[in-house]
Amino acid sequence: MPKPRVKVAWFDFACCEGCQIEMTNFGEPFVQLLQHVEPVEFREAMSEKTTERINVAFVEGSFTREADRARLEEIRTRSDIVVAYGQCAVSGGINALKNHMDDYSEAVYGKDCKRPHLDSQKALPVSAAIKVDYEIPGCPMDKAEFIRVVSQLVHGTTRVYQPSYPVCMECKRRETVCRYDDGDHCLGQVARAGCGAPCPADGIPCEACRGFVDNPNEAALAKVLHERGGLPKKWADTKSRMFAANQRGDA
Amino acid sequence: MTTRFLSDGALKQFVQALMAKGPVIGPVARKSRFVFAALEAPEDLRLDYDTTILPPKKLFFPTKQDLVKFDSPSSFSGCVEPKEQVLLGVHPHDIKGIDMSDKFYAANIPDSNYLAHRAKTTIIGSNVQKHYKHAFFGSVCRELKPQGHDMFLTRLKGGYLVEVRSKKGEELLALGKFEPASREQAAEAEAVNAAAEKNCPEKLNDTSDSVREKVRASFGSDIWNELSRDCFSCGSCNIVCPTCFCFDVQDEWNLDGVSGVRSRCWDACLVSEFSEVSVQGGSENFREERAERYRHRFMRKAVYLNDALGGPACVGCGRCSGACTADIANPTVAINTIMER
Amino acid sequence: MTCSCEKQTNGRNIFLPTLAEIVSAQMITATEKHFTLRMKDGAKFDFEPGQIVEAGVFGYGEIPLGLASSPTVKDSFELVVRVVGKVSSALAALGAGDTMTIRGPLGHGFPVSEFKGRDVLIVAGGIGLCPTRSMIRYILDRRDDFGKFTLFFGARTPKDMLFTDDLTDWRCSTCMDYHETVDRPDDRWMGNVGVITTLFKKTKDINPQTRVIICGPPVMYKFVVKELDALGIPRSNVFVDLERRMKCGVGKCGHCQINNKTVCMDGPVFRFSEIQDLEEAI
Repeated sequence: MPKPRVKVAWFDFACCEGCQIEMTNFGEPFVQLLQHVEPVEFREAMSEKTTERINVAFVEGSFTREADRARLEEIRTRSDIVVAYGQCAVSGGINALKNHMDDYSEAVYGKDCKRPHLDSQKALPVSAAIKVDYEIPGCPMDKAEFIRVVSQLVHGTTRVYQPSYPVCMECKRRETVCRYDDGDHCLGQVARAGCGAPCPADGIPCEACRGFVDNPNEAALAKVLHERGGLPKKWADTKSRMFAANQRGDA
Repeated sequence: MTTRFLSDGALKQFVQALMAKGPVIGPVARKSRFVFAALEAPEDLRLDYDTTILPPKKLFFPTKQDLVKFDSPSSFSGCVEPKEQVLLGVHPHDIKGIDMSDKFYAANIPDSNYLAHRAKTTIIGSNVQKHYKHAFFGSVCRELKPQGHDMFLTRLKGGYLVEVRSKKGEELLALGKFEPASREQAAEAEAVNAAAEKNCPEKLNDTSDSVREKVRASFGSDIWNELSRDCFSCGSCNIVCPTCFCFDVQDEWNLDGVSGVRSRCWDACLVSEFSEVSVQGGSENFREERAERYRHRFMRKAVYLNDALGGPACVGCGRCSGACTADIANPTVAINTIMER
Repeated sequence: MTCSCEKQTNGRNIFLPTLAEIVSAQMITATEKHFTLRMKDGAKFDFEPGQIVEAGVFGYGEIPLGLASSPTVKDSFELVVRVVGKVSSALAALGAGDTMTIRGPLGHGFPVSEFKGRDVLIVAGGIGLCPTRSMIRYILDRRDDFGKFTLFFGARTPKDMLFTDDLTDWRCSTCMDYHETVDRPDDRWMGNVGVITTLFKKTKDINPQTRVIICGPPVMYKFVVKELDALGIPRSNVFVDLERRMKCGVGKCGHCQINNKTVCMDGPVFRFSEIQDLEEAI
């Protein structure tokens, strides 16, 4: 008898829903995955909603309004496994760029800035509100990693190996010409690997969209970005805020 | 030892003949750098390269290599399917690196996942025509001479002096228009190779033995903290090194959740997960500080493996120096600093 | 010139395991599972006490485990898995009749010949009892080959005590001098409380010629060695059993390297005098 399909649902919070879009770009592996999972709620791809028990809940987006806490808790209660996917959900992501400022609201929304639906607090990872079992980082999350993690989860693995080393390792393994050798800058030295380093291979500096490795040498990064990468001092100091604002020493 | 001369035109024809028999891997341009890659045309071959991003060990020990395929918990098979290949244009110090990995993988319990690929590879070396900016092969590992190659080419005016180094190499002579070489040409080639060693842009100031002793004695010194202050623990110095052999092993399932593959992937002792004792992200790590990991690499290069490999586990290619964005991996800087203290 | 590999065979695929069938399996603490196994092809599995195997499940991976049974038992062998990570969880999910993969035996075990005819002291802390059990059982099965046999075992709490059937036997055994302690007692614990070194006060007549085995958490080693120094036991007669992550188990992957030694090939059992000055060893 075939195993019953695992019930999965997707939920989004403060984000661009780009990771959900990325998922619909999967093609063949996603179709294969559907033999093992049954989507019960997926806003970007289907209109049905559910209130039933969920085996695996995928949560996208950062936790940036206290009002979202109850909804997150409700998802947690209904789900066996909660997977935070995409960098917003994993670390607060690009939304956390606002965390070190208090004057962004007016700059962004102008005279509407005081309207109640625009109220928000610091952008935090989903794990700041509820227990998260697995994290799939990246902006957007990496399709191959998603398939790898999920295929292991649905087959009963309790832990999934994800590299904790930096992107430099992956660039070197695929013999990408270092951005610094091309007179550019890059954040690969402190960026969490697992994506396979596609950006530097295309001549684009790594922006650390999967966040930092566990013990990033931030002082050395600022120094190298300035001295070798040619960024102005202030920019070099703040460069890693784009995706790692909540992981920086000054968070 | 047979010596021949191969004109520039004849080299092209020789490479074409090799390519007709099977894959020929040689240095080719990639943006501002070079890599060893299968030649698509003889013109791709760049024997005037300075160095490649990765050393040629990747031909026998791929960055990711399948080891065991499994169909169920109890049905599995090995993945060693070596194919004949020619590795063309390896610099003498990189041949020493290959000699060391040969020794390492053949020692104690020999590993067919490496050795079977190695045995099917014909290696044609070539002289250093242009130095990599960090090369220091003239002042390190001088106790070893390049061994495991079949033929060696040295650039002379209008062509190459060809030295046959094995029976396999002798057989290659049938594939090209090799001319007799004069005594003068042989002498010239010798001078060219000696000059390449002498003219390295960087150098170690001391002998392997004195380096070994002093570096070992400095184990408890503060100097490692000093030298590694800007270290990212990124592992780049490991990955580009011809004498780094460490790897991780991971299983991956296919989507069916039953079949899959166990493979190994180049690992790096500079990254913190390398020295974790049991579970990933767990509390025990026997080289927890980045200075300890930085030190371990230098110890492995200058001290730990010397007896097993017959010399220091460093051939002076300078790849690590160039790969380190923080510019703290350069052995000539680090080791010369330690020696001066 | 020939490369060194041409002179040899091409070796074998060192990653191909053999299959072992699980004869029995039971949780013996909240986190440890005890397996009895038999090689599937019926092949004999010979090893030295203290040697290790790489035990695995395809799709998850392999982990190094010390053999927990004596080689005097010929038709089966035993392993204990502590559930901490991906592979150990997968192994612990297996039960009787299931299959696990085995590579080994690997490394060097206890040098039994050096122990023969001598008094023996084994100091085991926590899960350190598992690999030393191969030697304990060996000594008990070949009792006449050894002199006085003393065993110290320490656990964090009574609930963490492994092999409780063995412990019951050992407590009243006339073949050995067994002492135990826990760091934190529960209501029913009647025995000794305190770190393992407190047991040195419980026994007399540990002569300086005694051969000693220490296995336990790293922090334990230096305190136990201090006691042994006081007893006049040379450090060359003290053996320790080290734990490291190992990927290959045959000296290639580099993960268990400390100085110029690999725990999988040169160990896991080391003479204490040989590693006492090796930084990163303990």
